Amino acid sequence: MSKLGYILLALATCLFASYVAHAGELNIPNQLSSGQGFSIPTSGTGTATFYLIGPAGVIKRAVHLGDAVNVAGEETRAAGRYVAVLRSGDSNDTKVFFVTPGKPAALNFLARPSRVPTAKPDAISGVAFVFDGYKNLMIESVPVNFSLAVEKSAPASRTVPAKDGIAWIQMASGRSQGAAQFVASLPATDVSVRRVVQQVAGDACNLHMKAQAMAKTIVVETDPIRDCSGNAVPDGTIVTFTETDSRGLSTVDARVKRGIARAELPLSENATISVAAGVVLGNEVHIRWASPGNGGAGAARANLKFKDGIATDGGRANAEGSATGGRE
Amino acid sequence: MIKTSIFRRCTRALLLLWASWAAFVFPVLADDPAPKVQLSISGATPREVEDTTEKAIVRDYSAAWAALTKALAGNRAGALEAGFTGAAHDELAARIEQQAKNGVRTQITDRGHNLEAVIYTLEGSAMQLHDTAQLDIQVLDGGNVIHSEHATVHYVVLMTVAEDRWKVRLLQAVPGF
Repeated sequence: MSKLGYILLALATCLFASYVAHAGELNIPNQLSSGQGFSIPTSGTGTATFYLIGPAGVIKRAVHLGDAVNVAGEETRAAGRYVAVLRSGDSNDTKVFFVTPGKPAALNFLARPSRVPTAKPDAISGVAFVFDGYKNLMIESVPVNFSLAVEKSAPASRTVPAKDGIAWIQMASGRSQGAAQFVASLPATDVSVRRVVQQVAGDACNLHMKAQAMAKTIVVETDPIRDCSGNAVPDGTIVTFTETDSRGLSTVDARVKRGIARAELPLSENATISVAAGVVLGNEVHIRWASPGNGGAGAARANLKFKDGIATDGGRANAEGSATGGRE
Repeated sequence: MIKTSIFRRCTRALLLLWASWAAFVFPVLADDPAPKVQLSISGATPREVEDTTEKAIVRDYSAAWAALTKALAGNRAGALEAGFTGAAHDELAARIEQQAKNGVRTQITDRGHNLEAVIYTLEGSAMQLHDTAQLDIQVLDGGNVIHSEHATVHYVVLMTVAEDRWKVRLLQAVPGF
């Protein structure tokens, strides 16, 4: 008899415990949009405590059973997972639901680099992060328009769908130098973010020099130096002239000034002169100078021979630059 | 048949009671070890994830979750500094402030994360990941457990380089991927 009593008592305890543990579900949609308020109907009498646990806040509120529980839009601004609990005595009614981002309303835009050579494929990159009005990252696909334009030239434009709120692009730099406006925008809205990418002339293209023998030196001078798109390379760009003869090697680094680089090299009876700017090689000039003592034709005139080059023997030019390498 | 049903109900009730008790006792017994994080980088675009970055992401994301668990359990927003920045930090700090104000704590037992790198930006300063997390979550008001669940939660994560480590800039739970 006592055994039966214990069994019944245990059963009663378990049934009570399971009743206590029973959790009903609150009447809330599975998904809401951020900033969307809602109302939860309740039944019964007495008081209860309502909890809303979200990614950016926790609400705890005393409620009267039978009255609706109202949650304001301000309380569901952050997108994410929410747990709503209505606790009455030891009984809990719960609901897990999601708040999803609203309409796209803001952009963050990272553009790299801030300075780029012209006409370089995939040289400019941009990443746009799309947010709703409450700074939640947009999860659904949203088109983002990227455009790159320099004044007085047609903009390059492309639309890219953002995946999980991120759209990225690689674009070629334009052919003209200047401040390029790199803009990310959301179509059909007035949301746009602008960044400036300074496009500068690229590497020299068709680098070309001419040489002129003077009484004691050889003066070398480039043609106006431009990149392959026709933009003048910036003043200050280093151009290296190299002279090779039987005595060794002489190098002079000269800075471009008003689009042209000039230098003076030691006079040599038989030399080869080359020019380079960065990784770009220019033409090569061979010089053979016959001095009067060696039965040459003129006292101070140069006898120039060319390979892919031009030589002049006009007026003396001012030298630019300084010797850096010396004779080796 | 009836016996089996009663047995199941008893077991369930006892497990719930045990879980309530464990929520208080376990944090006292030991510090939480770093959560287990598995990262897949095969789907990352447009840039390939370097070996060192892969290791750093695993290390720093795990550390961020350890910090989050500690912060939510003890209502200590300062613990977030180690792993969170920007919007993620601000949102979690706001939640902790309101938890503390309402006498609520959230106890998370972290069962691990499956991370998938989705976007790694060209300049290498930001990475978006998808995380499928296995979490045991308990919400306590004072000494009462008001909510307890085992949940598989999907997060869209944005991590960015900050100071000497990667930090979580955005941690947004979504219904699925």
